[in-house]
Amino acid sequence: MGETFGLLMHGFSIALTPLNLLWGFIGTMLGTFIGVLPGVGPALTVAMLMPLTVKLDPTGALIMFAGIYYGAMYGGSTTTILLNTPGESASIATALEGNMMAKNGRAGPALATCAIGSFVAGTIATILVTLLAPLVVEVALKFGPAEYFALMVFAFTTVAAVIGSSTVRGLTSLFLGLLLGVVGIDSQTGKSRFAFGVPELLDGIDVVVLAVGLFAVGEALYVAAYASRLEEKMEQIKGSLWMSKEDWKRSWPAWLRATAIGFPFGSIPAGGAEIPTFLSYAVEKRLTKYPEEFGHGAIEGVAGPEAANNASVTGALVPLLTLGIPTSATAAVLLSAFQNYGISPGPLLFQMQPDLVWGLLASLYIGNVMLLILNLPLVGMWVKVLSIPQPLLYAGILVFATLGAYSLHQSVVDLITLYVFGLLGFAMRRWDIPVAPAVIGLILGPLAETQARRALAISQGDATVFLTHPISASILALSFLLLVLPLLYRLLRRS
Amino acid sequence: MKAKPAELTLSLGILALGIATAIGTAQLPRAGGYARIGPNVAPAVIAGGLILLGIWLLYETLSGGWRNAVADDPAARGEHRFTPSGFIWVSLGVIAQILLIDRGGFVLAQAVLFTAVARGFGSEKLPRDFAIGVILSLSIFLFFVKFLNVNLPAGWLKPLLGGAGI
Repeated sequence: MGETFGLLMHGFSIALTPLNLLWGFIGTMLGTFIGVLPGVGPALTVAMLMPLTVKLDPTGALIMFAGIYYGAMYGGSTTTILLNTPGESASIATALEGNMMAKNGRAGPALATCAIGSFVAGTIATILVTLLAPLVVEVALKFGPAEYFALMVFAFTTVAAVIGSSTVRGLTSLFLGLLLGVVGIDSQTGKSRFAFGVPELLDGIDVVVLAVGLFAVGEALYVAAYASRLEEKMEQIKGSLWMSKEDWKRSWPAWLRATAIGFPFGSIPAGGAEIPTFLSYAVEKRLTKYPEEFGHGAIEGVAGPEAANNASVTGALVPLLTLGIPTSATAAVLLSAFQNYGISPGPLLFQMQPDLVWGLLASLYIGNVMLLILNLPLVGMWVKVLSIPQPLLYAGILVFATLGAYSLHQSVVDLITLYVFGLLGFAMRRWDIPVAPAVIGLILGPLAETQARRALAISQGDATVFLTHPISASILALSFLLLVLPLLYRLLRRS
Repeated sequence: MKAKPAELTLSLGILALGIATAIGTAQLPRAGGYARIGPNVAPAVIAGGLILLGIWLLYETLSGGWRNAVADDPAARGEHRFTPSGFIWVSLGVIAQILLIDRGGFVLAQAVLFTAVARGFGSEKLPRDFAIGVILSLSIFLFFVKFLNVNLPAGWLKPLLGGAGI
């Protein structure tokens, strides 16, 4: 505990250098700016802004990413409330009440409860990450490859099969990602797999290309085809931005409850901020003294889900940093940013590069404060961003998206794969196949393969190693149950 | 109820992808190097998974359609009818950019992309869009090349734009 505090203070001494503060500031501003754009979620924001950090040292770059990550989320909630176009599934619950509040002329308090709620939830969650991460690292240091492999299988199961509207479509997305993950030179044997003689494919497919293809190109194709000729109605911000005493009284408990709901969902490798946001919405709806307001703009219904989203997204940093396991598309893109710097998150990172880890954690606190100070006063500016006409907006998004993909290797092959992934993204969006499992499968698949091989190398080829290690066996059993139980339940209910 | 053509196509597509992966896997070397599992094990698992998922999807298609599917009627999704021109213009923009970027250069390729995408979203002010596209991509180009020192192709505009570095 005391040791953690000392390390965190050391982290602050790194994050508070003027240059790193500047990177944090730029990241927060850019993240909010891009995150405000309708249809752009945090995963795409991080992926698009990645080329900007190429010249930074790893610590500065990661601090900037932390700012982008938080800024993108905050920016998204502004769009959700004023335009009723949730940029990601985790914002849907916020949209329900937030947009109604804006329609009733209470956009100001809705935005304020989001901003302050995000700050409260984000800060508490960051404290929990700080306290929890060293403990998880202690445990994780005892894990062998078999346990890691089991954990990754668990992450695959929850991300693909448990979340979303259909198990089979989630799994299909995951396996598409896994297939893309084996393209290129096999790291262990040096043999090329499915590269079809294209030299650019030997290096494998970059997560950024997949994420940008699915989220930006696919989204643009879809919106152009199905939603470009709609009248969009943006709510204006009328009256005061400030929350009344009553608003405060109703928001506080919702923020705290939502943090308690959101954090655990993010921090176990069970991925997705979607479930906790809806859970928080349901809890607030049940506990409120004003049930008649729900559906017409109840402030608890904005405060809760938004705080839950933030807490769970912050919680997702625990498995990402301590185990190297991403549990959301955004975390997958962040992991790829780490890898571009030759950093592999995991328990060893805490021992080998404490400056980087603790500087990053400290910058999360700073990022939260920056967002709170910057965003409410600047809300007028973000609203201007929102009023950019849709044709110019998407044209600009594609210019940045293709830049992000091209600047990775200066290669046209990346642009061609980008377009192919765009077509895939269009189809996935149209027929409701979730895209996050594919992104996670692409980056986590090769890691799982490596761990499986290590485990088998240690056990001298004995495949029962995954079932004889108690931890690995129980995690695998749990994954299996999560996958099979819902299906069994459905079968039983039908007969 | 008849199977929906789109669901049928996608299900068969996944099945075909699984079979193609299996065929490709068969040509990969078995064990090799220090690793006890060769480069073909993971692809084999993935091929098997895709084939099973393809069959599962096909079963859903033929037994009343995909479960929990989104509405086929765009109006029910709060959207308008499929607008081919939107899809085609965005595609043309990306393809033109792919063809242009190495020879014509970043600025030109991105400006063309910008104009075509804006067209796909219903903008009719082509000259204005192109001008905005040029300004935007020129700013990005100068920022990356002169400030970040990241090289982007100057292409046909090289005599005007010069090389990297301030």
